[in-house]
Amino acid sequence: MTSSEVSYNRKIISEDLSNVEFDTSEDVEVIPTFDSMGLRDELLRGIYTYGFEKPSAIQQRSILPIVKGRDVIAQAQSGTGKTATFSISILQSLDTTLRETQVLVLSPTRELATQIQKVILALGDFMNVQCHACIGGTNLGEDIRKLDYGQHVVSGTPGRVFDMIRRRVLRTRSIKMLVLDEADEMLNKGFKEQIYDVYRYLPPATQVVLISATLPHEILEMTSKFMTDPIRILVKRDELTLEGIKQFFVAVEREEWKFDTLCDLYDTLTITQAVIFCNTKRKVDWLTQKMQEANFTVSSMHGDMPQKERDNIMKEFRSGQSRVLITTDVWARGIDVQQVSLVINYDLPNNRELYIHRIGRSGRFGRKGVAINFVKSDDIRILRDIEQYYSTQIDEMPMNVADLI
Amino acid sequence: MNDGSSKKILFNKSTLFSLKAELLRKQEEVNEKKQLPQNRLENFKPPARERDKDEKQANKEYKKSFKDRLKAVDTEELEAIRKSKLALEKKAELYEHLSDSAGHSQLAERFLVDFNTKKQQEPEPVSHSSHVEEPVQPDPPETDVIDDDSDWTEFTDCLGRTRKCLKSDLDMFLKKDAQLLKAINRDKNPGIDANEKMTEQEEIAPAKEKPLLVQTTNDYLQSLREKWEQKEQELLAKDKDIHYQDLLFDEARIHGVGYYSFSTEETERQKQMEDLIKRRQETLKAQKEAEEVRKKRDEMMAARVAAARARQRARAGLPPEETKDNQKDFTTCLLEFLTQQKNEADAKAKEEENKIKEAQEKERQKLREAYIREWDIGKEGVEGKVKKFREMTQEEYVEQQRDKRIKEFAPQAPKPSTSSNASVFDDKGNCVGSNATATATKTWADVRPLPKTPPPPEIGELNEIQPQKGLYFTSSKKNEMAVKYRNFVKAQEATPIVNELEETEPTSSTSSYKSVEKRKHESAGAEVPPPPTFEYYGPTIKQTKFDIPFQSDIREAYSQGAKSLEPKSSNRQLPQHYDFTFD
Repeated sequence: MTSSEVSYNRKIISEDLSNVEFDTSEDVEVIPTFDSMGLRDELLRGIYTYGFEKPSAIQQRSILPIVKGRDVIAQAQSGTGKTATFSISILQSLDTTLRETQVLVLSPTRELATQIQKVILALGDFMNVQCHACIGGTNLGEDIRKLDYGQHVVSGTPGRVFDMIRRRVLRTRSIKMLVLDEADEMLNKGFKEQIYDVYRYLPPATQVVLISATLPHEILEMTSKFMTDPIRILVKRDELTLEGIKQFFVAVEREEWKFDTLCDLYDTLTITQAVIFCNTKRKVDWLTQKMQEANFTVSSMHGDMPQKERDNIMKEFRSGQSRVLITTDVWARGIDVQQVSLVINYDLPNNRELYIHRIGRSGRFGRKGVAINFVKSDDIRILRDIEQYYSTQIDEMPMNVADLI
Repeated sequence: MNDGSSKKILFNKSTLFSLKAELLRKQEEVNEKKQLPQNRLENFKPPARERDKDEKQANKEYKKSFKDRLKAVDTEELEAIRKSKLALEKKAELYEHLSDSAGHSQLAERFLVDFNTKKQQEPEPVSHSSHVEEPVQPDPPETDVIDDDSDWTEFTDCLGRTRKCLKSDLDMFLKKDAQLLKAINRDKNPGIDANEKMTEQEEIAPAKEKPLLVQTTNDYLQSLREKWEQKEQELLAKDKDIHYQDLLFDEARIHGVGYYSFSTEETERQKQMEDLIKRRQETLKAQKEAEEVRKKRDEMMAARVAAARARQRARAGLPPEETKDNQKDFTTCLLEFLTQQKNEADAKAKEEENKIKEAQEKERQKLREAYIREWDIGKEGVEGKVKKFREMTQEEYVEQQRDKRIKEFAPQAPKPSTSSNASVFDDKGNCVGSNATATATKTWADVRPLPKTPPPPEIGELNEIQPQKGLYFTSSKKNEMAVKYRNFVKAQEATPIVNELEETEPTSSTSSYKSVEKRKHESAGAEVPPPPTFEYYGPTIKQTKFDIPFQSDIREAYSQGAKSLEPKSSNRQLPQHYDFTFD
């Protein structure tokens, strides 16, 4: 997102927004370095220590408005440092001497919530910040004890967070910021009610920050219900795919051939790390078993597994012990494993947004990535639609695909 | 070795050795399999089952079903089976007796097996005993081999694979097998019940001889998982601060160059942190010192060089060099002055802009504070806000609406006259219209005194005049610009054209172009009577004068311009490409 792409056009919000075009706000300042953002010394050290040197486009634009207390809607391509954006802003606006929950971060999956906790702790390593992952599938008692201990930031999933608020274990009176990561998912049908429930317990006019790589129009339309004159930093959809992620497809005549193709690609998968997406949990199980029967080492993860197992799979994959992960869309959003350079859509995703998120598991923060789509003949139409929608290019997979990883 | 035959064992040295070898091999195999995660007792969840009787019954049922399935079974064979079963039972009894007494029995000497050592080697005698106590064995045709570990049994499934499982689960697996047979007969369906898949995996795994590498990696993973588990338990065990390092769990992440892996021990971590901060301060101090030293050295060096040069000049008989400050010539001074002016103007403009922005921002902030989100309605403290919002008086509201109104749509204020341009300017070309002076910002024409001398060109205008430098080479379009300039300096003449010029924005010059063109056309035409003044009459003289535009009075004009600039500089700025060297 360069400044030339940011067009200056603020529209007045009216009742019917379906015909309104949302654009990046006009008065967005671009700050080219972390040093010139006026951040605390300890935080700056944390940022550099974590590996950031120069702020990405979204970081240059969003950190300051969030720190200033404005409501912000921030969109940026996958793997360009959105989590760090709001994490830095949160850390900058915290009062660490006040041992109460001041910021609440909600995300759609437990793994993502845990990851955000980790990023906040990493960036705030020199600030002595306390951040708790308040997620389902864990021991309630432990959760309560951790919250009682005093946490500056709580990163969680809506269900457990709401539970904790209702039990008055998570006190909301000091909360001054609510962050919705993967905002479009969080405000979709499945989650919106839960978000509303949580929001009702927050002090009125709490600062709200929405972050996602995809922000469909209908989501932007509803933001006035819980945000005040938000600053928007948006990306046009034809700029949403990253240059660094090459996209290919493999045409197969029959579903069964996908498996053979995958087996043929196995050597390529293990060059670094790879994620294979199926559309259902059953299919994940089935494919995993079939791969294992064929003597390929793979691991798998989906929402029906016990949390302990999910955690272990995540740790194994993060530590590089397992290299090929077969999973569902539970893994599609936000999860950041640096070494993933290949994503395979064994099944095409069910919507266009998910496609962006899935392929975005590779090519993290400027690294190279490859996405391969397995398409049956009748799926090609869907793929072409995606291609056109994002003005991107999805070619037939070349023989030397391994060289691109 | 327990192959159930009732023959007497003939043994010599070689058979003894082979037997021993076999025994060791089997022991190792079993131990190896026990190590596999899927065979671990703690990992294995046997289905809920009732003891002894049920098991026997299940076995009987199983026998029946099996008989049904294998239709051709000889009675003779059955008889043999019965016998062998009896023999096995007896043998098992004996075996158990021997193992219980651990070699102390008198019978022990008669057997090759050293039950004493065997008992010591046995890692889990408890789990065995329950099964050993009742050595019921499935029919020999199905269970070809009974391992030395009596928990395990093998059977052949419908696909002809030899499979191994716990005895107690045998019936379950056979049922599954039957289901599988049915399923195969119907269709090869990929979507198999998840439960079955799991059990199948379990069965297959031990049957296959896993390569050593796979097994070691499995073991490694297992140990890693245990390590992580332990770490997590530690984290949960006590109330303490949690840091990034506590949550890393061997993650393969590339950090920045300055990354420092702190200890997970709180006191140690504190110490490391302090140390780090101390070192940081030391570094800063050292950097500062080094910088100072460098500066000093540079100064000294410069002084020495200057002294050397002075000496050289003295030797050559030249006067001592002037200090650098005096060397600045006029142009650089001018340049400095101008840039300074420009910077000041810039700063002022910026400040003003910021002020305006700030004011706007304040306004917006007020609006934001007054805004009530739909989702906030009903919350504590919001009601008051709503009330306050509604308490606006009529006058306030009207004022607010007036402020919002676009000026053009406002009703006209009472004015002495409503006629257009002509009356707004008097005959001297000065703007007198009350409307214009009241609303529009002051133009240059407004503040201009009425001088006899030609007014200096405004500095802001110079960018339009500047192309004259290229005048000597280029087209007539540039000429128009030049003519415009001539018009400009002729401004004090109270001609209607001049009035038009001043009325329009000085920077927008389209209308002046038009007028100029018109005049040019008029002067070219023969039918037009000559203009009243000489200036209009003698175009050639004018042309030459104009061809060398700045030569004569450039300095004077410039100084005037600079003077006029001072009050103006607040909202005008020099074009960036403006070239200061006129000559």
